[in-house]
Amino acid sequence: MAILVRRSNLFVPITDSERVKRAWQSDADAVTLDLEDGVVEPRKAEARGLVREGIAMAARGGAEVFVRVNAPLLHADLDASVWPGLRGIVLPRVESAADVTEATNQMTALERLRGLGVGTLELIVLLESARAVWDIRSIVTASPRITQVGLDESDLAGDLGITPVPEHDPYVYARGRLVVEATSARVQPIGITYPLGVHPRRLPPADIHRVATDARNLGMKGVVCPDPSWVAPVNDAFTPSADLVAHNKRVREVFAGALAAGTAAVPLNGRMIDVPVDEWAKVVLAMAEACEARDAQKRAARAGP
Amino acid sequence: MAAHQVRRSGLTMPVVTRRFVEHAWRRGCDFINLDLEDSVPQHLKANARSLIKAAIPIVRKGGAEAFTRINHDYVHADLEAIVWPGLSKVNYPKAESADEIRLLDAVITRLERERGIRPGTIEIGANIETASGVAAAYDIASASPRVREFGGGSGYDMSRDLGVEMFVGFEQFAYGKGELELVARALGLQVRAAPFVANTTGSVSDADRAFREAQAARTCGFRLGGGLNPAVVEPQNRGFTPTAGDVEDAQWVLERYRELTGTPDTWKVIDGRVIDRYEAARARDTLEWAALCAERDREKAEAVLRTRAAMAEPASPASA
Repeated sequence: MAILVRRSNLFVPITDSERVKRAWQSDADAVTLDLEDGVVEPRKAEARGLVREGIAMAARGGAEVFVRVNAPLLHADLDASVWPGLRGIVLPRVESAADVTEATNQMTALERLRGLGVGTLELIVLLESARAVWDIRSIVTASPRITQVGLDESDLAGDLGITPVPEHDPYVYARGRLVVEATSARVQPIGITYPLGVHPRRLPPADIHRVATDARNLGMKGVVCPDPSWVAPVNDAFTPSADLVAHNKRVREVFAGALAAGTAAVPLNGRMIDVPVDEWAKVVLAMAEACEARDAQKRAARAGP
Repeated sequence: MAAHQVRRSGLTMPVVTRRFVEHAWRRGCDFINLDLEDSVPQHLKANARSLIKAAIPIVRKGGAEAFTRINHDYVHADLEAIVWPGLSKVNYPKAESADEIRLLDAVITRLERERGIRPGTIEIGANIETASGVAAAYDIASASPRVREFGGGSGYDMSRDLGVEMFVGFEQFAYGKGELELVARALGLQVRAAPFVANTTGSVSDADRAFREAQAARTCGFRLGGGLNPAVVEPQNRGFTPTAGDVEDAQWVLERYRELTGTPDTWKVIDGRVIDRYEAARARDTLEWAALCAERDREKAEAVLRTRAAMAEPASPASA
């Protein structure tokens, strides 16, 4: 099965023409044109008119392009967003499987109408309430279009009625549930560790790299980036490092030697190498290859025709 | 609590590695887990199966209970080969559904009957090692009365399923571990869990850390251990067993609590410590557990003596 490499997803407000124009230079694996929180209420209609052209601009660097729609304006926003070149929709404030079905029904109709392959558009769903976190299983299994799921941590704080402080992560349970239920449903969980999910801001790349690495080690597969400065450290954090690749090649060699000697349990630097360790090594090496392939695609796209 | 076995320490070992199996009884473990799964190469699976029946009495010579870890994908062949008198538990890896556990139960029930084993003797250990296993935990744990202890939710398989590196120095599995502990408690099962103790080396033979982890686990009320290297057996036995000081302290608490009877008070504070019904129950628990540990240690010591005696030269005239 092909590995979906979508480490960084750069969100840009569709009405910020400068940021939309520059998004393709960011090296993000995905760019999401935002019609929702990044667009002020009076400009919602105008924003819709910018999407079709924005898709082509955002895709120039080989990024997959998504549009985040407004839940209360779902139909008008989808109608303005489904055009060739679109990879999928970011659906916020999902509360139930019915919310997913409502969106996918219209997406199917629009795919037919606009000559896109039926069923090709993906969905990234964002959970923003206790209800949604509790019902995550029925939500993420509601449609095969769903490839990623994340928490919108600031809106979730509002729903829970809490004012998060940086010292205490209020989402240990919610994030853990997200990772376990998404993984079980073969959907990628996305997000960054606390407190950056609630209070996104610019930070030195090394700090972004550190929290993104923590997120990966909680099971996340990618990060929604509110700023282009996040993209490079996030991509790097989600790409197996050269050290990791070298170590896992060594694991595979040692394990193969052990098998030949008649055992599947062999020590290496104080650790025990057995089947699951070797299986994990295969995953890391496959992931490294998939990241390299994705980066090559983007390089080729940026170099232009 | 007394219904539960004392399983502070145990070694999981490939049944195909003869020297591990032969020396297992000398290790002082409460249990030995004979592995047919991840430590046994594919091409040796059939051979491994054929070794279990003879290995069971060998690993029990030091008083340890004998378990076998079977393969998720070879349930029938493995069970036929391992359900023999002397086996206490079948560990089933990567459990993901109640149906899997019900199937194991049915096959084990038949084999117990056919092989003269008291019905219900053999436990099922449902190992939760994937996200789907966590998601189905309650159904799995309640699928058979043979599931008597439950927990886990971390380890190499789980980390692979979630796609995370292990030994990163922070708790990565809090949710899954929490779910499994809740399930175990809700069903009244013995909890296999441990508090998070940062570990960035992943060493399987670090005796100091094994002791600290066991001690921390006991402090949190957990009692089940186990490992891969003989170096961690003694530290686990020690860390999970109440010390003489703990026992003395528990007795002191109970005496102070008894002094409350006949007074109008239900609690009092002595030297800054609260003495009440809750603390008394904890103290009783500690004393019961200490007694169980001591009994288990006696059983093992006697088994070792019997084994050594049987291995010695034919009895001398004096003892004849």
